[in-house]
Amino acid sequence: MSVAAIGADAHGGVDQLYVETRELRLQGFLLFLVSDCVLFSSFIFAYLYLRNSGQGWPPPGIQRLDVAFAAWNSVVLFGSGATMHYALENFKHGKFIKYMWFLLATIVLGAGFLGGQAFEYNHLIFGEHVTWWGSGIFGASFFTLTGMHGLHVFFGVCYLTVLVLQSAAGVYTRGKYFGITAGTLYWHFVDVIWVVLFSIFYLL
Amino acid sequence: MNAQLIERLGAVIGGIAVAVVAFYALYKDWQVTGVENQVFKLMLALLGLGAVLALLAGLNVIGFAPSKGAY
Amino acid sequence: MAVAALHSGGIADHIHPEPQGFVRRYVFSLDHKIIGIQYLITGFVFFMLSGLLAEAIRTQLLNPSGGFVAPGTYNEVYSVHGSAMVWLVVIPLLTGGFGNLVFPVQIGARDVAFPWLNMLSFWIFPVAGLMLFSSFLMGAPTAGWMEYPPISLQGAAGTSMWCAAIFLVGVSSTITGINFVVTILKMRAPGMTFTRMPLFVWGQFATAPLLMIATTALAAALAALFIERQFGVPFFDPTKGGSPVMWQHMFWFYSHPAVYIMILPAFGIISEVLPTFARKPIFGYKLIAFSSMAIALAGFMVWAHHMFTSGLAPFLQLPFMIITYLIGVPTGIKIFSWTATLWGGKIHYTTAMLFAIGFVGLFTLGGITGIFLAAIPFDLHVHGTYFIVAHLHYVLIGGSLMGIFAGMYYWFPKMSGRLLNETLGKIHFWLFFIGFNGTFLPMHWLGVMGMPREVATYDPQFTFWNRFESVSSYLMTFAILIFFVNVLWSIRYGKRAGANPWGARTLEWQVPSPPHYYNFKHVPTVYGLPYDFSQPLPYSGLEEELTDSPPPVAAGAH
Repeated sequence: MSVAAIGADAHGGVDQLYVETRELRLQGFLLFLVSDCVLFSSFIFAYLYLRNSGQGWPPPGIQRLDVAFAAWNSVVLFGSGATMHYALENFKHGKFIKYMWFLLATIVLGAGFLGGQAFEYNHLIFGEHVTWWGSGIFGASFFTLTGMHGLHVFFGVCYLTVLVLQSAAGVYTRGKYFGITAGTLYWHFVDVIWVVLFSIFYLL
Repeated sequence: MNAQLIERLGAVIGGIAVAVVAFYALYKDWQVTGVENQVFKLMLALLGLGAVLALLAGLNVIGFAPSKGAY
Repeated sequence: MAVAALHSGGIADHIHPEPQGFVRRYVFSLDHKIIGIQYLITGFVFFMLSGLLAEAIRTQLLNPSGGFVAPGTYNEVYSVHGSAMVWLVVIPLLTGGFGNLVFPVQIGARDVAFPWLNMLSFWIFPVAGLMLFSSFLMGAPTAGWMEYPPISLQGAAGTSMWCAAIFLVGVSSTITGINFVVTILKMRAPGMTFTRMPLFVWGQFATAPLLMIATTALAAALAALFIERQFGVPFFDPTKGGSPVMWQHMFWFYSHPAVYIMILPAFGIISEVLPTFARKPIFGYKLIAFSSMAIALAGFMVWAHHMFTSGLAPFLQLPFMIITYLIGVPTGIKIFSWTATLWGGKIHYTTAMLFAIGFVGLFTLGGITGIFLAAIPFDLHVHGTYFIVAHLHYVLIGGSLMGIFAGMYYWFPKMSGRLLNETLGKIHFWLFFIGFNGTFLPMHWLGVMGMPREVATYDPQFTFWNRFESVSSYLMTFAILIFFVNVLWSIRYGKRAGANPWGARTLEWQVPSPPHYYNFKHVPTVYGLPYDFSQPLPYSGLEEELTDSPPPVAAGAH
């Protein structure tokens, strides 16, 4: 099936009010993502500043982060970005069942990433080199940034769950699905933030 | 086969898969216009980049090898 | 560009049903004009409170040994005074207050893009204000409005409350910024191109991205300070490896753009008032508009000029000094454009005009001391002295607050339907002008002589000028009391204004005072700039605005 026009209603017309309102919401949502990006950037600045304030990195007595596990866990999150992309594509083309499956896959992968992060936290906090939030600048920057990102993933998972319920209830139609677009934007944003965090914490 | 090898294998295979999917989706959507689609394109490119980074990290090309096995 | 141009059942033709009942009309209102008035009232209440704190400071400084309040209390008083004036008074009055009140009408929109978010953003603000003032109950912050660690890390519990309150104001500002950007980009009337927008809209358009981006950076800094204070997470504590200078970076990355948040809308107000009362097109419209954008952009690249004494590497200090000088160029362009607007105009000395002319003079003075302070050698000499206090009060009172008063006298008839009393207004202006200069001009030489700021006592050699300042500040407070009396009296008994008492030409003056909740019966079409006083009005579709006919589309709830 082909892509329906935005704002198309059941009678073949176009709901002009919806088209314009959607335009406003889209722009507002993108600006929200920009300001959220600034929030992350500020903390990333803080991390890089502390990292370069002397004494080497990681600070004495702290174990290096395990890159193998993080790479695997990142791939889980990046995979969820790909499935979310195809969820939206399928919805646009009217393939509702496929959309639902991709959406569920996204939720599972997102939750899987959170589980992996919990596993890693568990290891860092209760492993042989105890590192926690307040124990030094390493813990401060690492747990604040990844924790903030984890919270974003968690909110994203909740949002997508709501999307599943709403879609099942038939809230979104062929021409009116801004909630799904916004969800996809948000989920991609969370993924892309993780690309940066993964690079600066595990690869740098 | 230890845990670290499994993780690295997962990162490499998953990284290839995600990178291929992301770049293919980017290629397919290249001509699409509209604000949100331009953002999607940017996001897909960065997503592909992230997958490549994870793949390279899994291959131990970049990043630091841990002193011993995985967690 | 403007979606509203399509005119086919879109937002431009969409009128909500009239809000019913007191609560929906005046308390939880979605109407941008009511929200603007709510911002103004709340902002002026906080203005009175923090003005009282300012008088406490001046009363303390009557004597070299202080004695009015304890030194610790003095620290709390000036910290809360500064924080409240910046975040609860000037920023909300200029963006949330005048921004909401005026600019959607000026661009020919029926409301802002997200009325619900607008209401949310307003209602966060008084809550945050009460939180900030309630920090006195648990020991208010004592490190000034900048709250530099490590002092802020050692401060009483109120410092955490301060973080939370400012964080909330920041959320409110961010929402407002997003709302304004989208409104200006998408909701302009047909024909209202970017180069036909009134300059007040340009001022808001330059400010809104700063609100959106810079305030979020501040939120990060505040969150870091909060979790460090509450959970001992080391960001700024040098004994645990953190860096106090990092706070200064994070704070000033917000707070330098914030000074432009506080001045750019005031520039916009002045650019409306001057041509109206000089009866002359504004000189250099595009230059004023683009210099606002240039200032907003460059504002992000100069934050470290507040930190010349913090041990910043010299090779970093130099570019910050140079870019700060460069900001003087667009600011100077504005000053010269305003002066050229006055040149040869038929000037009407109304109170709004007096405040606008006073703004041009006093802001220039504050701006020039800003250029002094950007010079590293001079800054090293006067950093942390009363010279800084004089500079910031010249730009914040002589600039922003004079702009706010000019806006109040100018737009009060539009929001209430009645004029403010001009006689009282002129008394207000002259007493305020004299009191202000008497208070802050001597601070320049006190600062150069080395009197440190934020200290409860001072060297007895400075006694004369400090007493002079305190007495002048009482005069200034008296002038502001006259203003409040004027407002309260004029709401009841002021002269009826009519739609356009000033003969102004922007869109808000073409509709009744106060405007209907839907602003326009028909969204007008715009053909040109609003400043060409010799030409007919550049709008069409406004014929029915001042008649009693109902709007054509009165239904359409969703």
